[in-house]
Amino acid sequence: MSSPSTMFCSRCGSGFEENEKIVNSGGEVWHQSCFVCAQCFRPFSKDAIFYEFEGRKYCEHDFHVLYAPCCGKCGHFIIGRVIKALNNNWHPDCFNCQICQIPLADQGFIKNAGRALCHECNAREKAAAIGKYICHKCHAIIDEGAPLKYKSEPYHPYHFNCYSCGVELDSNAREVKGELYCLRCHDKMGIPICGSCHRPIEERIVTALGKNWHVEHFVCAKCEKPFLGHRHYEKKGLAYCETHYHQLFGNLCYVCNHVISGDVFTALNKAWCVDHFSCSFCDMKLTQKSKFYDVDLKPCCKRCFEKFPSELRKRLKKHYSEKATGNKSIL
Amino acid sequence: MMTLSKSCLPSNNGCSPKSTAKHKILDENENEANLSDRGINSLEELPRIFYLNNITRLTLSHNKIRAIPPSISNMTNLESLNLFNNQIEELPSAIVSLPKLKILNVGMNRLYNLPRDFGEFPVLEVLDLTYNNLDAKCFPNNFYTLETLRALYLGDNDFEYLPSEIGQLKNLLILCLRDNDLLTLPREIGQLTRIRELHIQNNRLSALPPELGNLDLCSNRSVCRMEGNPWIPQIADQLQIGVSHVMDFIRQEAYKFLYSRTQGMSSTAVPSRNDERKSKKISRIRVK
Repeated sequence: MSSPSTMFCSRCGSGFEENEKIVNSGGEVWHQSCFVCAQCFRPFSKDAIFYEFEGRKYCEHDFHVLYAPCCGKCGHFIIGRVIKALNNNWHPDCFNCQICQIPLADQGFIKNAGRALCHECNAREKAAAIGKYICHKCHAIIDEGAPLKYKSEPYHPYHFNCYSCGVELDSNAREVKGELYCLRCHDKMGIPICGSCHRPIEERIVTALGKNWHVEHFVCAKCEKPFLGHRHYEKKGLAYCETHYHQLFGNLCYVCNHVISGDVFTALNKAWCVDHFSCSFCDMKLTQKSKFYDVDLKPCCKRCFEKFPSELRKRLKKHYSEKATGNKSIL
Repeated sequence: MMTLSKSCLPSNNGCSPKSTAKHKILDENENEANLSDRGINSLEELPRIFYLNNITRLTLSHNKIRAIPPSISNMTNLESLNLFNNQIEELPSAIVSLPKLKILNVGMNRLYNLPRDFGEFPVLEVLDLTYNNLDAKCFPNNFYTLETLRALYLGDNDFEYLPSEIGQLKNLLILCLRDNDLLTLPREIGQLTRIRELHIQNNRLSALPPELGNLDLCSNRSVCRMEGNPWIPQIADQLQIGVSHVMDFIRQEAYKFLYSRTQGMSSTAVPSRNDERKSKKISRIRVK
């Protein structure tokens, strides 16, 4: 071992005093005061961990600041393996598919709109962008024809066969109690199809307008509220609730403004309850046989019309010449 | 409870030769009183009628009544009041407080104004003011808040314009403006989406707001009467073929442009008022 008199400090080049503490590291020696971080000139931490780069020694902090990469996800320094991708650095555990979070460090990735995605997510994204589905079984795009939806996931129909006859299925296949059937076998099973959603009805069935309906799908054509067992009114192949049937087809009584139950008088673009059909000017009841005049599309009995001033009668008679009679119709 | 016929006995019994007939009520239904054409000169001849608060319908048409006393408001169950063809010049404010009144017919009277709170009827649905002396200025602003109104008859009056607030009467099914002096209709008339009867014949209209095309006036459930107006030639031509052709025409962009241009200009030739015809109206008799 060489004596202190023949050794010189690697930093300042001076010799050492007798009994001076000498720092020895990797075959070189330093004054204790010279063994410091090349950046901050402070002694290294207690256990004297330092990082060396191009012959210079740095404390942990300064080495990180000067030379170590930061992770693009968590922002911490990366020691050990660095993944370089998308113009950034990453901890291997931080570099994941941005949709499904699966680690990408070893399986590779695909750049999609500035994101790193796994192969599967990329394929799904691409399919969604062109309006197509990804088969839940083979993970390929369902390119031709409609997908077969089974347990609410899309599939290539050709992955399945009819549970009953074994024929390869197409997208018209139907799911019944967890099994898939071709349309022919399904129809033979006699399961009613809802006239609104075209799906099988497995619970309560409403039969109306010559079709079957889910209870909650048999609704008023105007307000779309389900009838839920209440009376419905049919017109031109559509069903309406009481309120909207009468609102749309004019069978509210002109006098009481209520829905007319029973016989209806219709005349003058209006409808009346039988009891409410009367002359608008003297309130006398009119019957089916009564003759009446049209005065502003209100019924006017002959007696009232004759009481009108002659100048008004003359003007009104110009508008029409014929006396109208009421039409009785039954709802 | 008193019967209707007893309660209507006049205080000066027998002074009029018609009194017996006058007080016989036709309807068996004692909630409905029909006193049409009984030669009644004043409601004072029927002093107790206003205390019959179970009456739901009162018909007093074709009489010679000149005034309605404020005590009408005691008839709290009245749903229908028919005062057609009397000589009423003014209605009392109290009439608007009738809580159940749905139908009010004051047609063929001599009204020249309306109470200031005329829009306060709580449930009025049908209002007939045909053949009076009313114009837009007679209607207080609150009138257009009558949301329950479904039929409004204003034929044979003196309207020269209709206020834009008419568009607020959203539930209107019937609007009759026959035989007035209307020069224009407001664009807001296009907001009356439920309308299925529109009478605008015999006015001074030359054009229609394009917004009228939004309304369903040509279906088989609708009636639109619009003859007897000095229409611009394009509308007159279409009207010859039918109302639906007029509606198709005013929906066109070209017409919208034409309409917006002509609205800004003061028309050079305003058609004259229908004064000659109106001077013969019996509703004018009061006017000196």
